[in-house]
Amino acid sequence: MDLLLQLLVNGFINGCHYALLGVGFGLIFATTQVVHFAYGPIYALTAYIAWYTATALGAPLWLAVLIAAAAAAVIGPVTYLGVYRPFQRRQSSDLVILIASLGLLIVIENLIGILFGAGSRVIEGVNFSVFLWGPVVFTGVHVWQVASLAVIGGALFLFLRYTRFGKAILAMTDNPEMARIVGIDTRRVSIAVFAIGSAVAAAPAVLVLLKDSATPHMGFHAVFMAFVAVVIGGIGSLRGAVLGGMLLGLAEGVGLWGIPTEWQSSIAFIVLFVVILLRPQGLLGQRT
Amino acid sequence: MKSLSIALSLCLGVVLGSAHAAEPKDPDVINVGAILAMTGKADWYGKVMSHGAQLAVDEINQKGGIDGIKLKLVIEDHKGGIAKEAVAGMNRLINLHNVQALLTSFTPSTLAIAPIADEKGVFMINGGGVSQAMVGASKYLFHNRSLSTDLGRAAVSRAHEMGLSRMAQFAWKTDAGENIVKVVEPYWKDLGGSVTATEYMETNATNIDTQVAKIRASNPDFVALWMFSPDPGIAMKRIRQFGMDVPVIGVEYTPDVQKIGGKYMEGYQFVADYFKPTEDNEWGQHFSAAYKKRYGEAPEFYAANYYEGVYVIAEAMRRARAKGGDWYHGEKIAAALRDDPTVPTVYGGDMTFSKSGVAQKPVALFQVKDGEAVFQKYVKAQ
Repeated sequence: MDLLLQLLVNGFINGCHYALLGVGFGLIFATTQVVHFAYGPIYALTAYIAWYTATALGAPLWLAVLIAAAAAAVIGPVTYLGVYRPFQRRQSSDLVILIASLGLLIVIENLIGILFGAGSRVIEGVNFSVFLWGPVVFTGVHVWQVASLAVIGGALFLFLRYTRFGKAILAMTDNPEMARIVGIDTRRVSIAVFAIGSAVAAAPAVLVLLKDSATPHMGFHAVFMAFVAVVIGGIGSLRGAVLGGMLLGLAEGVGLWGIPTEWQSSIAFIVLFVVILLRPQGLLGQRT
Repeated sequence: MKSLSIALSLCLGVVLGSAHAAEPKDPDVINVGAILAMTGKADWYGKVMSHGAQLAVDEINQKGGIDGIKLKLVIEDHKGGIAKEAVAGMNRLINLHNVQALLTSFTPSTLAIAPIADEKGVFMINGGGVSQAMVGASKYLFHNRSLSTDLGRAAVSRAHEMGLSRMAQFAWKTDAGENIVKVVEPYWKDLGGSVTATEYMETNATNIDTQVAKIRASNPDFVALWMFSPDPGIAMKRIRQFGMDVPVIGVEYTPDVQKIGGKYMEGYQFVADYFKPTEDNEWGQHFSAAYKKRYGEAPEFYAANYYEGVYVIAEAMRRARAKGGDWYHGEKIAAALRDDPTVPTVYGGDMTFSKSGVAQKPVALFQVKDGEAVFQKYVKAQ
């Protein structure tokens, strides 16, 4: 029973991590229809920028996180304007844009290796408290992983729900053509969601840097889990991305209660297959 | 008719005899290949291995090369053991550089290129990869490092010596990790021990909390880490954060492991190959001094193994060349080493390659104290 409790808590924490990734990735995907796989290496890049700012430049950690998020908010729109937008203007197929995103993924991954070196990077001397809650153990980084979803996810929810620009994003998410017809500047909205979605990646990336380390290839797993969370939750639904991420984390944690951990990487696929089979539009997605 | 046969036999004998004594057919330059992890999470290995190998090549060239033929080191990158990268690198080495002997590293990449080595007849020496699965993977493959299964058995022998009996294993979900589990588990049970948990992690896993939670729930006397750099650092950190203070014994420790594990590495014990340039080891001392002078740091055993690996290749080539004829082929270089499997080792004295191609070397037990690996004693790799 103690183990099950621990696995539930682990699953919940990982679920929060995946959910936040899903929110950032899903916001871009739902609004622009771009399957932005380069979101993964941008996530990795933010970890490296934070690492560089905190170690080489000696900035405090909070400032390093802000600089990393700001850098991501610039890099995201650059990828949109430099790569995806030209294809969209030529009315290239979704497949072409998908291939472009995969190419961009490889380019940015290699760029990280060239700029920062290919090895693992850690910020030394940063220690987090360890909390004992009955038989359950968690660390300060885990608390931050949960808190970052609550704060960033909550702020994003309020922004989308109660601001004019947020409503424009939601309108475009709902129907891009109609949004354009009613006078929404979809190009501007697309740039904004690439900025916001990419900046969101900074928090989970820096927390993984602090928890373990940063590596140039850390983004692949992240974008894969974000993608699965979005598909499970339902494309176009940010609440769905949160739900998908949580479900994924809990399935990964609790699922390994009874089965060997060597199956860990297969669990995301199993959940994905089951959801696609039973509810192809995702848990909170609309059937089209 | 009989005299004609005798005359023909004599002629044939003269021809064969002269062929046997033919001048060696030499290449202009000998390209020694190396397929290493030059980029990726494990690029530290590529750095130190290539440093060791390059130093050996330069030293041999300064001394006149192999009977006057200069060596050139050609490095390909398998990006941390990625099989397809290793295969592409191997093909480039053979087709573009006519490489007949190479240094290989990492288990998955070595296993991937082994069939090509067999097909093309390329001599290979591994000083880094540790999986038992590599033994016999190619008839031209030799190893100048202790295999992980030997290290694993030495590690649990240490646990037995400490009076521990309940082992939890935490292993890489790779050939290297799985092979240690397969070989060590029955050995540990023969010693009277039991296994409380066997958990696996992917090599690039960012989340191992579930595995550590299951290990903790199994209540072991000690945890054995069957994984390699930098993951012992992540595992050790998480094991301690989860409140487990039992001994942890592994088979790997590198600066990257220490950097990631930080203060949590304290007390970690590990069994590993160990290069120590003792006073009675003149070659080892020379290597250590030359390496320090060139690279500004003391060599560890990976650098030593790849330095030594180049010398093994050079010695095998000299022996093959001494037989004359068209000697510059991997199979002939391998045959020359098999005919006389004893060569000098930078660890001191000579080492002899067994029929399986593995050279027995001394392994040592270490314990991390104040962020440094402190030598405890030499232990026998079983």
